Amino acid sequence: MRAVWRAARAAVRRRRLQTLVIWLVTLVSTGSSVVALGLVDAASAPFDKAFGTLHGPHVVAAFDGGKVSDARLARAARQPGVEAVAGPFPQATVDIPRGTADYALGGTITVVGRSGPGGPVDRVDLWAGRWPARPGEVILNRQSDWTADDLGKKFRMPSGPVLTIVGFAFDLSHTADAWVTPEQMRSLHPTGRQLLLRFRDASSADALRAGLSEVTGGLPRDALTGSRTYLALKHRIGSNARAYAPYLMAFGVLGILVAVLIVANVVGGAVVSGFRHIGILKALGFTPGQVLGVYLMMISVPAVLGCALGTLAGNALAGPFFGFVFSGPASGVLHGSLGIAPWVNLLALFGMPLVCLLAALGPSVRAQRLPAARAISAGSAPRAGRALGIQRRLASVRLPRSVSLGAGLPFTRPARSALTLAAVVLGVTTVTFATGLATTLNSYGDGGHHTYDVTVYVGAYRHGEEVRPVHGDRALQSLLGGLPGAARVTARSDEEALLVGTTQPVMFEGRRGGRSLDTVLTRGRWMRRSGEVVAGAPFLRRNGVRLGDRLRLRKDDREEEVTVVGETLDTDDRLVVGGWATVTALMPRVKPIAYHVRLREGTDQEAYARAVRAADPGLSVQLSGSNSVTGTIIGSATGLTLMLALVASLGVFNTAVLNTHDRRRDLGMLKSIGMTPRQVTVMTVTSMAVLGALGSALGVPLGIAAYEMVIPRMAAGVDITLPSYMTDVWHAPVLSLSALAGVLISVVGALVPARRAARLTVAEVLRNE
Amino acid sequence: MVTEVRTGDTVVRLDGVRKEYGETVALDGVSLEIRAGEAVAVMGPSGCGKSTLLNMIAGLDRPSAGRVVVHGESVGELSEKGLALYRRRRIGMVFQFFNLIDDLSALDNVALAAQLTGTPARQARRRALELFEELGIANRRNAYPAVLSGGERQRVAVARALMNRPALMLADEPTGALDSRAGEQVMDLLIDLNQIGQTLVVVTHDEHLAQRCASRLVELADGRVTGEHTLEPSA
Repeated sequence: MRAVWRAARAAVRRRRLQTLVIWLVTLVSTGSSVVALGLVDAASAPFDKAFGTLHGPHVVAAFDGGKVSDARLARAARQPGVEAVAGPFPQATVDIPRGTADYALGGTITVVGRSGPGGPVDRVDLWAGRWPARPGEVILNRQSDWTADDLGKKFRMPSGPVLTIVGFAFDLSHTADAWVTPEQMRSLHPTGRQLLLRFRDASSADALRAGLSEVTGGLPRDALTGSRTYLALKHRIGSNARAYAPYLMAFGVLGILVAVLIVANVVGGAVVSGFRHIGILKALGFTPGQVLGVYLMMISVPAVLGCALGTLAGNALAGPFFGFVFSGPASGVLHGSLGIAPWVNLLALFGMPLVCLLAALGPSVRAQRLPAARAISAGSAPRAGRALGIQRRLASVRLPRSVSLGAGLPFTRPARSALTLAAVVLGVTTVTFATGLATTLNSYGDGGHHTYDVTVYVGAYRHGEEVRPVHGDRALQSLLGGLPGAARVTARSDEEALLVGTTQPVMFEGRRGGRSLDTVLTRGRWMRRSGEVVAGAPFLRRNGVRLGDRLRLRKDDREEEVTVVGETLDTDDRLVVGGWATVTALMPRVKPIAYHVRLREGTDQEAYARAVRAADPGLSVQLSGSNSVTGTIIGSATGLTLMLALVASLGVFNTAVLNTHDRRRDLGMLKSIGMTPRQVTVMTVTSMAVLGALGSALGVPLGIAAYEMVIPRMAAGVDITLPSYMTDVWHAPVLSLSALAGVLISVVGALVPARRAARLTVAEVLRNE
Repeated sequence: MVTEVRTGDTVVRLDGVRKEYGETVALDGVSLEIRAGEAVAVMGPSGCGKSTLLNMIAGLDRPSAGRVVVHGESVGELSEKGLALYRRRRIGMVFQFFNLIDDLSALDNVALAAQLTGTPARQARRRALELFEELGIANRRNAYPAVLSGGERQRVAVARALMNRPALMLADEPTGALDSRAGEQVMDLLIDLNQIGQTLVVVTHDEHLAQRCASRLVELADGRVTGEHTLEPSA
């Protein structure tokens, strides 16, 4: 055993570059596999994982504080089916009057008295400031991708107390809009008590109903004033996850495949290139078993180290990466609640070394069986050449000889080249898929987004007080249209109405002025006359409505019939959009809440915003920025693509290192007959660029196929149908870019070994051979 | 640029050439002149610096000190590209173990030397075929190195060395890996080449080869020239 260890240690020392490559490839591959598997895992059930981590309540129950005491509620919650309980917390519903800041809380808010963000149920993510410590302080429920710029501001509650905002927290289950200390609650006159319950069986609505009945069984009949289960929340959040899942799965699977291929190639190549060494060991008296041991140990040392460090690196990278992937208004609920599952780490720690071992085992067993003399001569005796026909044809091709020689090299080591090619193919597939995805998502993000540059909201807040506009509605629209740089202004109103025949309210959005927003239409047309509306696919599907169908909308005592003439990309299943005449027919007194302004080409958005504020202090301005959801997906796809391209490049790097090592004698001879360093570089780079070109030829169609498979599923996840102009992405520039990716991956990977080969000292090489 | 060389002109001049590999001194102040048309044999025990001397002249390695001047060009001062062009234009090299590329046919191995200079494939092959006929191996032109005998491989190597009409041919133990019959054939080939004016430097252990091929013998020991003798042409 000592001899095996010594020989393996000596081999590792002698082959520093190869050992470094194995270590580096296993490190990067394991790291990317951990992230990829983590993504697959996270995408498979993101809500359950986030909800589990936060110990979210399966049921949020509200009780009448006048009918049941806190002590009795606490006793009632001690049931065998209840896994954990938080509360009862005092709860008040507060109407925030006009004139005080609403901080995006809406007109009526739920305030709960809680002493901290933790507890056995519903762990709240406190992401800015601190939890209220004394009366007079409040913390607001707000997602962490908003800004915390309202910290320190004050607002007055209708019952008298002035509260200072001391922090922002996000609660996945939205059990409250704001929290104060339990002591503060007294001045808010709470009438309710909130109980947050986790049940042992939360698999269905029936199970949850049964669990809640168990809790409320001993309480006065009308003590329970309301309850809601986590299932509705799960459905709502699930739609975002359903949109992410197919794309994350695609990247995860690609990442794992690339990593396994590269590791197999690197390890297998290392053993094959060591045949001569194996022969010498045998000649020295090493048994076949000992030879096998030396090689497995030689591979295992850097591989195990690489896997261990790669697992650590993957975990370190996954934190910020998942935060980045699962951020944004639509998916921010998952922010910070996801991590790498233990099974992923175990699989990476044991699976990757196993892949290395299996990859080394094949060639090692071959070497073990090889007679010593043949193994020794494997590096120096003339081989019966391979791919001779290709070399012969290339010799007469009208290309510089260094290029034609390089083009033939991959065919002399077919197995190694095939594995490298497979990695390049997957790299190109990833780049192609990601390019298509980014193009579609850009187009989706821009759909309607570039229709206006600035949104001007009616009303502004200064020092916690609302400032109303000086100008009236019509005057405001012409004022905004008359400011320098304005091209057109569209007024927008949002009012709830009832869809007759259902109990569900709809948000009836009215638009006045400006051009129709055709860019967001997926089918049909924009409304042209009174009585016509458009709506998103989720609304149409949920209500079983088709284009051309008539709907009846009710507001107060009025009813109007409207015709659906277009389907938009909107994902809101409650939204219906109509022209101003249509909306005012139902709601005569409706007023715009905002004005969307399209600016002339070259106009400075900031300058326009300043002009708006100067023209009327009762207006607040928001500039159009990039779409954060599409930005998140594009950003994460870019990160993953770069990571996979790097791994594929490392595979090419390793193959180029092994090839130049195997052909040192040929390289020395070529240099001795006058091959310049530049020609050596060109030859080596060409040998890999051929694989890159082949990789592009195979990878681009595969990338397109992956796109065709994933994109419709992503769209289905959020209940939308993408219009053809958004999915018609395979134009010449995109295809050229993807086709170039394979060559680029190969050239980048081959460049360093090629330069190294170019610098070989001929005398040294030929002497050693 | 091709320099015209007349018989008797100095082709190679070594002035106090020293070569060190770490602590080891391979050449220690070697000075030597080789004239055009000469056939010089370099002999000495193993490790005396024979191959290193040949590598210095071939531009395969650079001296640690001193100068190697070939056709007026100081080889050690050339850039890497300059050295490659120098080897391509001026030197033909024959190795003990042939150093042929296994994946290329015998003809393509030889044509390669010309193709690297930009000669079109067809023209390079025509020239290679001429050499194959001159060297008596035309029937083996499409064979691959693995199926050639040692003597045939060395003839292919000689053809490759002659491909670009070098002013100086260097041979490092050219018969060292051959049986006696094949060795004799290669010797005859070298003698023939020298007789038609090819300047030749042969490094060898083989006294018989030196006697038959060379007109001058340079003896090397411990990296120094220990003796020089003019040799009588053998019958």
